[in-house]
Amino acid sequence: MISTNFLAYRLATALIVLFGVSVLTFGLIYLTPGDPAETVLIQQTDQQPSQEAVDAFRAEHGLNDPIPLQYVDWVAGVFQGDIGQSYYSDRPVSEMIVQHAPATVELAVAAMVVALLIAIPTGVLSAIHRGERLDVACQLGALVGVSMPNFWLGYLLIIVFSLHLGLFPVSGSGGLENLVLPAVALGTGMAAIVTRLVRTAMLEELDRAYVDAVRSKGLGERIVIYKHALRNALIPVVTVVGLQFGFVLNGAVVIEIVFQRPGLGTLLVDAIFARDYPVVQGVVLVTAVAFVLTNLLVDLSYRYLDPRIRLGGVSA
Amino acid sequence: MTVASDPLLDVENLHTHFRTDEGTVRAVDGASFTVGEGEIVGIVGESGSGKSVTGRSIIGLESPGEIVEGSITFDGTELTDASPATRRRLRGTSISMVFQDPNTTLNPVFTVGEQIQESLKVHADPDRQRLLEYLGVPLFRSRSEWSGYRERAIELMEQVGIADPGDRIDDYPHEFSGGMRQRVMLAIALAAQPDLLIADEPTTALDTTTQAQILERLRELRETFGTAVLLITHDLGVVAETCDRVVVLYGGEVMEAGPTDRVLTEPSHPYTRGLLECLIEADDHGSRLSAIDGLVPDRFGSEPGCPFASRCDHAVDECRTVDPPVVDVGDDRRVACGELDRVRRRTESDDGETTVSGHASREGVVPRLLAFDGDGIDPDTDPHEHPVLELEGVSKTYDTTDSTLERLRSGRQLLRAVDGVDLAVEPGETVGIVGESGSGKSTIVRLLTGLEEPTDGEVRLDGTSVGSVDERTREQLADVGVVFQDARSSINPRLTVAEAIAEPLVEAGWDEDRRERRIEELLELVELAPEYAQRRPHQLSGGQLQRVAIARAIALEPRLLVLDEPVSGLDVSIRAKILNLLADMRDRLGLTTVVISHDLDVVTHLADRVLVTYLGRVVERGPAETLCDRPSHPYTKALYDAIPSVTGSETARALAGEIPSPVNRPGGCAFHTRCPMAEPECEAEDPAVTRVGEARSRCHFAESVAERSTTDSPDSESPDVPNSS
Repeated sequence: MISTNFLAYRLATALIVLFGVSVLTFGLIYLTPGDPAETVLIQQTDQQPSQEAVDAFRAEHGLNDPIPLQYVDWVAGVFQGDIGQSYYSDRPVSEMIVQHAPATVELAVAAMVVALLIAIPTGVLSAIHRGERLDVACQLGALVGVSMPNFWLGYLLIIVFSLHLGLFPVSGSGGLENLVLPAVALGTGMAAIVTRLVRTAMLEELDRAYVDAVRSKGLGERIVIYKHALRNALIPVVTVVGLQFGFVLNGAVVIEIVFQRPGLGTLLVDAIFARDYPVVQGVVLVTAVAFVLTNLLVDLSYRYLDPRIRLGGVSA
Repeated sequence: MTVASDPLLDVENLHTHFRTDEGTVRAVDGASFTVGEGEIVGIVGESGSGKSVTGRSIIGLESPGEIVEGSITFDGTELTDASPATRRRLRGTSISMVFQDPNTTLNPVFTVGEQIQESLKVHADPDRQRLLEYLGVPLFRSRSEWSGYRERAIELMEQVGIADPGDRIDDYPHEFSGGMRQRVMLAIALAAQPDLLIADEPTTALDTTTQAQILERLRELRETFGTAVLLITHDLGVVAETCDRVVVLYGGEVMEAGPTDRVLTEPSHPYTRGLLECLIEADDHGSRLSAIDGLVPDRFGSEPGCPFASRCDHAVDECRTVDPPVVDVGDDRRVACGELDRVRRRTESDDGETTVSGHASREGVVPRLLAFDGDGIDPDTDPHEHPVLELEGVSKTYDTTDSTLERLRSGRQLLRAVDGVDLAVEPGETVGIVGESGSGKSTIVRLLTGLEEPTDGEVRLDGTSVGSVDERTREQLADVGVVFQDARSSINPRLTVAEAIAEPLVEAGWDEDRRERRIEELLELVELAPEYAQRRPHQLSGGQLQRVAIARAIALEPRLLVLDEPVSGLDVSIRAKILNLLADMRDRLGLTTVVISHDLDVVTHLADRVLVTYLGRVVERGPAETLCDRPSHPYTKALYDAIPSVTGSETARALAGEIPSPVNRPGGCAFHTRCPMAEPECEAEDPAVTRVGEARSRCHFAESVAERSTTDSPDSESPDVPNSS
């Protein structure tokens, strides 16, 4: 059971975060040099636009209003479900996001799956064989994994697996074969962090009194570890993985460029270069909402994972 | 109970060692003993004597220790060289274990039902353990098979005395009280239908009343299923209550073994004698307790000789150089001591002396003032002198309502931790407060030290009303010294002893010179050598750390010393020393003391006057002797009855049921739900305070309770008063 106070509190914080994010992006965009009207018109017509054309564009998109007023207009739009239209195609930003989001979500989820598939077994093995060679190897691997920039790893994977071995396509999206390399490139960093966390959490759990009590029931070591200890060790892991999801979205922007995947990242970067401000704001807003929502989900799942929290407070 | 054939468990010359960076620790060093079928055998000893490691070696949990020598034969199978699979199978089917602290030995994230069912499954099929089935993946877990386990789990829960098992099976461990959790552990152990149950301090973390219930279950188990029990404990009373035979362990070796009644009434080994002498006897009130000199060494060396020689009054040179012989003294008793004749002769000639010295110490006790609460009943108190501490109608209520919405929906949920407590502590007096966990004792400590503010009523120091810590003046703060429960967690582990003691002095603005002198003085007062000043908490034993906590509490010469569970978790010998120290200090410094404990023995021993609390209310108060000899409230009587006695003349009687939640306090007399002599009017009407002799009791039948307490022979179980529950 979730207390209503808790939900209300989380909702209020979420709104404050979103307000802050929108003000910041709005402000930053207008501080950057360059007039969107000119940039957009040059791109569209491929020649220096006339002053009239620029004025007309500015008037049409409300760019002559004072910035605070522009912001209020935009917020009012958001509350009506309208986050603006692209300067180029006049398509609603929401439609563009809906079109690009699935590829990014697909990538992020795949990267998380890769990360967990690597991290949980490695972390557990590392903990069980604490201090042995296997543990040292796992720790070293984690160090390498966390130190490698993901775009660099991405290019490395392309060179080895696509160009030399020809196992996977260099770029593009759609099939599973297009997803493997980007997911590995993006998931490795997180896998490294989570491995260490799983190892620490498992070591802590294996030291607890209930582990011996479970062993004394005659349960095999496999069940002692993978049922009893791991279930407890996953509680802190879920928190961190949830928080990492935000960074995975960030990383996705870079990885999408490296692998030329059409996603929110590509959309955002293109929009920034093209001064397509409504699109930039839209994408940032959606990312922020996703971030806040995953955090909320983590907190809720935490309450599910740990029954002591679910029922409100640990009893004395 | 003698067994003609081979015993069920035969431990022979067992050595379990731990390899550490500083060398090998010989945790078990040549222990030999047997447990027959259906026999209850106790292993006793202080902490560090190797008793837990012995138990763990038998069930195969000795890791990271290692059995280096000796044999453990269980039902004809040699365990020390058995394969891990064999040992695992035995754990699931023949040997079970119950551990000390049920709060940490149940997995918090699985329901108790799941944890019991899992054991049943292991028992049914110990060699085929599929992870996916145990994880509860639907396709891998046969529904009919596991629903059978569920039925059986409910039966087991009922068997160990959990009420409404059908409703509680899907609850998580944290939703149960400590006593109930230990019952769940017991149900898990029983799921394996073991021939041997190893119980490692199963009642140490529990209230005495709950302890008596659990011990009763263990005895029943033997009666019903013929289960043999190896009961590991530091408490000789528990042994006397439960065990057929007892094995006294020290330094990983058996010092003495034999039938419980013989060993406890006529101990042969100096160590057994020492342990027994440390105990608080009912007529010990205020007198000095004997204690065994010295401490259990951290580790025992590899040199030969008796491990106890360093602390033994009777030790001769030979004890330190030659391993003691095991002497058969008849009646199935064995004693590992080479000087038995001398020990016996000396203690026999001592016997007269002991009584003399007992008298001497009794006379040495400064006669202390016996005063009563200043609510008009006792006219003898000097009206001009204020009591040091007064509580007047003090209540503390907590709001446990979760959210605003819930409050609107179902109203506030109030937890009455303390409800209208009156108390006046006169100068020089020691007042004890006793009750089970959940009776409001700790909240009273927090109220009188100012860590909490009362919801209602007033706390007065020397006649001046005081508020919370933030509102008290420096002098008022200095006037109250507190020894908090569990020194290990109440002293900053990063500070040296000197720094920890200096904290209140710094706070009071003392300069460095004065502080240093005071610390020296204080260490001497609590009988710690000056070199301890520079040590850190992890280098001290529990008893030494408790001395540091006491030194800190009296650093500013408080008028009032508050002791919250001052000796819980300490070994008997150390407990006796700390209690002696407290009594000495109190008499020398003329301290006024409030002592809070769940242990009636401790409170009765230290205090002049005792308050018994139940669900935040004082149900009986009076002089310690009166309460002990002639309790006039059924709850007080139940608390005394639940204490296991070493003399074994009477069995501890468990108090039925559990303390109710203070959120849903029963109407009328709050104790009526558990009272063995409750009448309909107890449920309907809150009893007024009745004066019975020198005690005052909040019971409708206070007079008859007191009368029965004096005439009641311990064995007459049937109450004269009709039982309505």
